[in-house]
Amino acid sequence: MTRASMPDIDERLDEDVGEDVDTDRPWIVLVWNDPINLMSYVAFVFRKLFGYSRQKADKLMLDVHHKGRAVVSSGTREKAEMDVFRLHEHGLWATMQHDD
Amino acid sequence: MVRRRRPVAFARLGDLVEVRLGDEERDLVANLAGQFRSLLTEDAGPDQRRLYPTAYPADPERDADYAALVHDDLLHFRLEAADVVASTVDNDTLEPGELEQWMVVLNSLRLVLGTRLDISEADEFDPEAPDVAERSLLLWLGLLLEEAVEASLGFLR
Repeated sequence: MTRASMPDIDERLDEDVGEDVDTDRPWIVLVWNDPINLMSYVAFVFRKLFGYSRQKADKLMLDVHHKGRAVVSSGTREKAEMDVFRLHEHGLWATMQHDD
Repeated sequence: MVRRRRPVAFARLGDLVEVRLGDEERDLVANLAGQFRSLLTEDAGPDQRRLYPTAYPADPERDADYAALVHDDLLHFRLEAADVVASTVDNDTLEPGELEQWMVVLNSLRLVLGTRLDISEADEFDPEAPDVAERSLLLWLGLLLEEAVEASLGFLR
């Protein structure tokens, strides 16, 4: 395993930040692998915040661990930002971006 | 390394969680919760980087708006958790919600300590390391958090 580093976010995301576009296109919430958080704790937070089943939470946690990231929720910008905020409250490394 | 056998720190007891920590461990938790509270009220240094993550990595302007919007909420969420830990640290039992506040503090402390130690996933425990005391503390916090998670799972829907 390697140390997690900041993701390379697609530069193209910078180009379309018009508000009209934002309201229509869905946003996705990503959780990134990091070297400190415990796997069991991450899965627990997914279950607590999103009400996911144990199976779903464990699969997302393992995706984060093995693939470096996972999409844990999606929706409007407001919903995605609230989800990111709740994940940040719980110490997870969450970001949001447009779904391409 | 041989670990001295110790009881599981948290065990579900009906609608509550029994805390099976000894006096020394409780003193340590209380001390750390106090240090955490002090740290939070200081200016955010590099150690606190993981407590206030980036939401929009590709959009600094939006990220600055997000950070300004949530900073005080994130701060108060953690201050409240630290206060709950301080006021319940000697309890025999905790409400499930109180244990969740403990978990917020335990995990936040791990984020601060792990950032300070520049922990990586490849790190193996080295009893000869100069910062072995802090690394031991990180492991102990992880053990408590793991046991808190285990005890909390039964309360999920």
